[in-house]
Amino acid sequence: MITPFATAILTSSILSGTSLLYATLGELVGERAGIVNLGVEGVMLIGAATGFAAASATGDPYLGVIAAGLAGTAVNLMFGFVVISRRANQLAAGLTLMFFGFGASALIGRPFVGEIVTGLPRLIGGFDALVWLAVPTACLLWFLLFRTRWGLGLRAVGEDPAVAFASGRRPEWLRYQALSIGGALGGIGGAHLSLALTLSWDEGMTAGRGFIAIALVIFARWNPLWAVPGALVFGAAEALQLQLQARGADVSPFVMTMIPYLLTLLILVFWGWNRRSAAPAALGRGFFGVE
Amino acid sequence: MRLRLLVCLLVLAALPAAAQTTLKVGAIYVGSVHDYGYNEAMHDGLMAMKKAIPGVTVLEAENVPETAESTRIMEGMIQQGAKLIFATSFGHQQFAFDLAKQHPDVDFEHAGGWMQAPNFGNFFAATQAAWYPMGVAAGKMTKSNTLGFVAGVPIGFVIGNINAFALGARSVNPKAEVRVVVTGGWSDKAKEAAAANALIDQGADVITMHVDSPATVIQTAESHGVYSIGFQSIEAHKLAPKYWITGLGFTWGPFMTATAKSVMAGAFKPGMVREGLGEGMMAIAPFGPAVPAATKTLVTAAADKVGKGFNPFTGPLTDNTGVVRLKEGESLGGDKMGGLDWYVEGVIGKAK
Repeated sequence: MITPFATAILTSSILSGTSLLYATLGELVGERAGIVNLGVEGVMLIGAATGFAAASATGDPYLGVIAAGLAGTAVNLMFGFVVISRRANQLAAGLTLMFFGFGASALIGRPFVGEIVTGLPRLIGGFDALVWLAVPTACLLWFLLFRTRWGLGLRAVGEDPAVAFASGRRPEWLRYQALSIGGALGGIGGAHLSLALTLSWDEGMTAGRGFIAIALVIFARWNPLWAVPGALVFGAAEALQLQLQARGADVSPFVMTMIPYLLTLLILVFWGWNRRSAAPAALGRGFFGVE
Repeated sequence: MRLRLLVCLLVLAALPAAAQTTLKVGAIYVGSVHDYGYNEAMHDGLMAMKKAIPGVTVLEAENVPETAESTRIMEGMIQQGAKLIFATSFGHQQFAFDLAKQHPDVDFEHAGGWMQAPNFGNFFAATQAAWYPMGVAAGKMTKSNTLGFVAGVPIGFVIGNINAFALGARSVNPKAEVRVVVTGGWSDKAKEAAAANALIDQGADVITMHVDSPATVIQTAESHGVYSIGFQSIEAHKLAPKYWITGLGFTWGPFMTATAKSVMAGAFKPGMVREGLGEGMMAIAPFGPAVPAATKTLVTAAADKVGKGFNPFTGPLTDNTGVVRLKEGESLGGDKMGGLDWYVEGVIGKAK
């Protein structure tokens, strides 16, 4: 009995965790370049709405995923213009981006509410392509960040843009690149919610997952490989309470719905200590050129 | 051109004089009217009213939060000439009530609440007993004897729905059990999908739900080849062409039509209206292709029985911990449902 239950928990953790993993990786690559984007929630929503709209209009869920990625990139480039070129405060701009995402996604998704779409087809093991590509994406991102010259430059910009600039890198250009990749991943994360998990679009359907992604970047110590277990644990927190209820566990449903948040608190308590050492040194700081 | 404008203005100015034969009705919804659920049912009711009475125009606003924002939107509708407002979500009650005091010439109807004033009434359907025939359908269709129920928030009315569903199922299939998963909100689609998946993992082969929009749960069931039973709007059957069994939907049209007519006649009478299958405030959705004729007959018969006043909450009734809740001859009326905090025998789950 325990084995099928464990399998069920794992399966649903993976399903719930996939959108989180993409969004976390997206935020992570931006933060590695020194940009905190508190607007991931908005980026995910725009991805979810655009992906659903495109899949509904074309009938092809894969085109929906591509559209979601492009939309995420477009939104993050707007954010980039504000914080990189105009050097606005990243936290304020990020929150604004989140609210922009609420409105813009509602506008994009409005004509498509209640449409019936073909979801991402289930492939081997009952998982869709985005699930299967999630871990390879994390590995690829790790390779790019830690094993290529490009990644070295990007991380250098996140640690100290002035030094990176002095050694011949172009901080602003690299930051735009990081935000483009991050936006695409955030958008795809949103699309997994609308095109694979729920097969519908609903205003505000990310329900705070964008913020969990920001917390997960800290949990992952800014390392894409660590983001994988992180997303899985948070996915499990959501899955566990629902699975326990379906199983008829003798626990109050009110206590069960607290599980994900209790887990978040526990992780922050036990994980908090290594935060300072791992964070990119120039996180949240603009690059004002060198005098 | 200028002359035409003048004529238009004159016509507009003359309009209020003809107010007895026309009526502007405002309605606010907490979600989208294309949700195959609660809000769609409300919208369909208004459209039925509009069709039934010539001269009625409708102003609608979707995604109206249960905050002071709703006051602003209703106020705007009144400025545009609305004389009857339907505030359709539970949380709109206080805002609508306060506005009713400021506008004694405008009549208000609120869905699901309890407040009363000379120009403020409330209405809802008695859903609990109507769930009994849904249980009959599920009990007949299941092969695993495991039925899944995705519930938003476990308030008494929802618990009552679950209980009546279980009682109906076990009336035709004593081996049937209902597993309940609570998501903790009325609209969290990702959790609703995960909850449906969890129930399917536990062997449920019929899934139903009480959340604002049944769309996600029904589509999740359909994609796994699992039967579904809908709730809120009878239109939900479009989401599951193969594995749909039946569903329970609100049919607000007749009530809304009667209310609008009373306002036009200057005879609005606010009340606390609670009607069900018998009075036509709820209806059974069309059956899906997999349902055998014998089952259809059983379900229809159960619905008729409920429509004629049958109360499923009639003793002897034991809860799922073995405590006798109703003795032989005792029964629990529809007005007691709000306080329910126990599940009947055959439900797997904790109510509190």
